[in-house]
Amino acid sequence: MSEKKYTKDHEWVSIENKIATIGISNHAQESLGDIVFIELPSVGNSVKAKDEICVVESVKAASDIYAPIDGEIIEVNNNLENDAAIINQDAENEGWIFKMKIYDSNQYSDLMSQDEYKQFLEQ
Amino acid sequence: MNQLPIDIPLKNFHQNNGAKILPFAGFNMPINYKTGIINEHKNVRNHSGIFDVSHMGQILIENNESYLHKLEKYIPLQLKKLIKNRSHYSFLLNKDGGVIDDLIISNIDIKDKSYLYIVYNASRKKEDEEIFVSCAPNAEKIYNKNCLFAIQGPDSINVLKNIIDIPNNMNFFDILISKYNNNVIIVSRSGYTGEDGFELSIPNESAENLITDLLKNKNTMLCGLGSRDSLRLEAGLSLYGHELNENITPIEAGLLWALDKERLEDKHLNGNKVLSDQLKNKLYNKKIGLISSNKSMLRDGMTLFDNNNNQIGKITSGCFSPNLNKSIAIGYIKSEHNIDNPIFCEIRKKLELVKINNLPFVKKNYKKNGSTYE
Repeated sequence: MSEKKYTKDHEWVSIENKIATIGISNHAQESLGDIVFIELPSVGNSVKAKDEICVVESVKAASDIYAPIDGEIIEVNNNLENDAAIINQDAENEGWIFKMKIYDSNQYSDLMSQDEYKQFLEQ
Repeated sequence: MNQLPIDIPLKNFHQNNGAKILPFAGFNMPINYKTGIINEHKNVRNHSGIFDVSHMGQILIENNESYLHKLEKYIPLQLKKLIKNRSHYSFLLNKDGGVIDDLIISNIDIKDKSYLYIVYNASRKKEDEEIFVSCAPNAEKIYNKNCLFAIQGPDSINVLKNIIDIPNNMNFFDILISKYNNNVIIVSRSGYTGEDGFELSIPNESAENLITDLLKNKNTMLCGLGSRDSLRLEAGLSLYGHELNENITPIEAGLLWALDKERLEDKHLNGNKVLSDQLKNKLYNKKIGLISSNKSMLRDGMTLFDNNNNQIGKITSGCFSPNLNKSIAIGYIKSEHNIDNPIFCEIRKKLELVKINNLPFVKKNYKKNGSTYE
């Protein structure tokens, strides 16, 4: 699996054979607090980078999740439907949200590395 | 309100205890601590929790007939008849009967002098204090020298009894003066969670000692404004700026019980005609409780529709209910809507069925004569 990369909207992306796995960063789950519900994206949808594609709800507020790159949604993490708190427990592994087939791997290269994301958070 | 948020006196203490601090009503306030809102919420329902609400307004007004008369223009109570050592939930009303603020008003003696002690919302300090000072020029704001803590939950009495003398016969909404480390503290049996509990007004210099003493009990914990909000919503309690504002009367907000009926006939009371007309004609928006029929979250500001797609109301507060494991909300609907007909809420451009639920969502657990009442 490729190096994990991050967006300014606090999503993480990792890629294997042109399939990207996407979730929210550990920093994002910490600032959201207890996550109680997630509206998962629809499998089969083609989306563009920056499209709002699903919603994570914490006790206090709803947060949109954006597509980090162009592609087609091919799988969602159905475990989250029953227990969205998995994202709080393990945001960057078991708490993955969806997978997509990507069209343009340059878009992935343009995202932030782990170190760059750390610096971005410190700003 | 463009000024920087003010720190409450124990901000560093809270930060050292893992608080997430965010600005609220002009103050840097603990929103939640390390274990999260849901855990804090459940700890209050099952054991107890401690909230620092030092952002709230606290004022002492001399119990003087001329001051009381002036205040009765705004406050729908017979202030001269308030029973000593009792608290009352009430309001400041504007000319149209709308709510300038909701507050707790108590009659207490401090050092042989009789006062009204009023606790009011941080977000309404400016508006409220203009009124208080116009009625009683020597009104004494005490929130700069006194912290305000709330300990809430069924175990509160046991946690507090070890530290402060509390008489066994103290009922909900009783209030008294006690001592802690030679400091005079104001202790009221009250709160904003639907649980039994106490509010403690304590001089700043002893505040950290008191909260540290309370936390020695292993079943209690620090709780932030996040769980305070989900607890009050489950208990069906109104929040200023949401269920209450200057365009909503206490009657619309379902708070008729808090109005002194004789005062509604008194022309000296702001909005008395609007209020007595509403009472007679029953034509006003109604406050309702709602519960989602699936897992979607109901949120403040969402619009409500009937089955003919007519807009019939709005949600004013919504959150996840840890006790019911569902989303709950409070909102207003137009008087002409028949509540037996279905209601839909627009959630992200989709209409979803919601169910009316009587308020409160979770039974209250207040104490009177040693037993529990709702």
